[in-house]
Amino acid sequence: MSAFETILFESKDGVALVTLNRPKVLNAYNVQMRDDLYEALGLIDADDEIRVVVFRGAGDRAFCAGADLTEFGTAPSQAIARQVRFERDVWGRLLGLRQPVIAAVHGYCLGSGMEIALACDLRIASADARFGLPETSLGMIPAAGGTQTLPRIVGPSWALDAQLTGRTIDAREALRIGLVNRIVDQGGPFDEAARLAAHLASRDPAAVRTAKEAVVRGLDTTLDRGLDIERRLALRMALRSAEN
Amino acid sequence: MTRSSVLLEKRDAIARIVLNRPAMGNAIDSALAHELRDACRDVVEDDDVTVAVITGAGQSFCQGSAGFSGLTPGVIAERQVACAIADIPKPTIAAMNGDALGQGLELALACDLRVAAEGARLGLTQILEGTMPWDGGTQRLPRAVPRGIALEMILTGKTIDAREALAIGLVTRVAAPGELDATVGELAAKLAASAPIAGRYAKEAIHQGMDLPLSHALRLEADLAVLLHTSSDRSEGIRAFLEKRTPRFKGG
Repeated sequence: MSAFETILFESKDGVALVTLNRPKVLNAYNVQMRDDLYEALGLIDADDEIRVVVFRGAGDRAFCAGADLTEFGTAPSQAIARQVRFERDVWGRLLGLRQPVIAAVHGYCLGSGMEIALACDLRIASADARFGLPETSLGMIPAAGGTQTLPRIVGPSWALDAQLTGRTIDAREALRIGLVNRIVDQGGPFDEAARLAAHLASRDPAAVRTAKEAVVRGLDTTLDRGLDIERRLALRMALRSAEN
Repeated sequence: MTRSSVLLEKRDAIARIVLNRPAMGNAIDSALAHELRDACRDVVEDDDVTVAVITGAGQSFCQGSAGFSGLTPGVIAERQVACAIADIPKPTIAAMNGDALGQGLELALACDLRVAAEGARLGLTQILEGTMPWDGGTQRLPRAVPRGIALEMILTGKTIDAREALAIGLVTRVAAPGELDATVGELAAKLAASAPIAGRYAKEAIHQGMDLPLSHALRLEADLAVLLHTSSDRSEGIRAFLEKRTPRFKGG
């Protein structure tokens, strides 16, 4: 357990739980949350005891309703905004985690909040979950990876439809288009996410991490190279088994 | 120059490009392809237009390529037109009022959003005539729908209906009979209500980014997002959000 201002971070039995914790403002993402997440993700990445990560939002109403525009609307200058984006690359850190990451989504999951969920590997949603990227209707574009992660998850047709219109996607549609892996009809999605996390944490951690690595790296290159990556990783696993 | 095979209508910020050879099922010959490229160029150059809709007159969206005796390099050069649509930097919508077959579906695949009227049939049917798709279909269909489904459609030339197209994500909306214009009009109005530069950058980030490794694609997104900080529409969007009112975008 460690103390952050805007998130709760706990780690138990191989599962790290990150709770976005600004429930009064629907867990809106602000500068402090960026810094807290950046630090927590660094801890997770460095901790071999952590086998699985779960993200959720505090309170009844939202996973995260988006960025706090009172803070992100006013950067000192474009050059500094760009520099900070790359220096405190919280999204690169989240997408680069070796452990599988599960988002347990309820209520509003909008803008940066949806982008956090998209940077996770698996998404479990409650029936009341509402997704959307409304940035273009505010004169912006998603800037936490959403223009890239969404089309890689649901394909460009749905990604363009969602981003150019900024419309809201309910849980049923999210399941149909592959945006979420499962819907939990009764109650919140967290229990189901915790069960899945415990299941993944019970598996050989090297096998789980290596399988994730093969899929993530392989999809980011040509099929030939992807097959080569898989071959090398499988060989590494085989040698390790032989040693044991 | 009179446009007869293609009509270009503009209302507010929305341009409608209408394939207009209904007696021929809007089949594409070199004249139609030429006029369609001209219409695309017009849409690109007209700063007052922020969204383009492509649709067909009569019963069909486009039945494909008009007859030619053999597929030659000359035929391809004269009639390829999908890239002119894909190169429009503004959001585009294919409003498939009826069948979109062969090259007709290739035109729709070059658009960002696809809407089909109930009853429309969609397919890349070229294989049935002993050729193959040559206006982007072999590349854009597997990027729009799962690879196995794309291969089946291209190798067998089979057509699917609007509902199946929705199920596989080839279209993202299906309109009930008689409601296509209303559905597309509402969609186009929604796109036109966004800040024009933001819509263009979002489109660019998705299309260009999908062709890049993720790390490069994320840098492209960040660069475009920061570049948008210089636009007055972004400041207006944030102000309007904080003041809980509708933003008034000027395109700057």
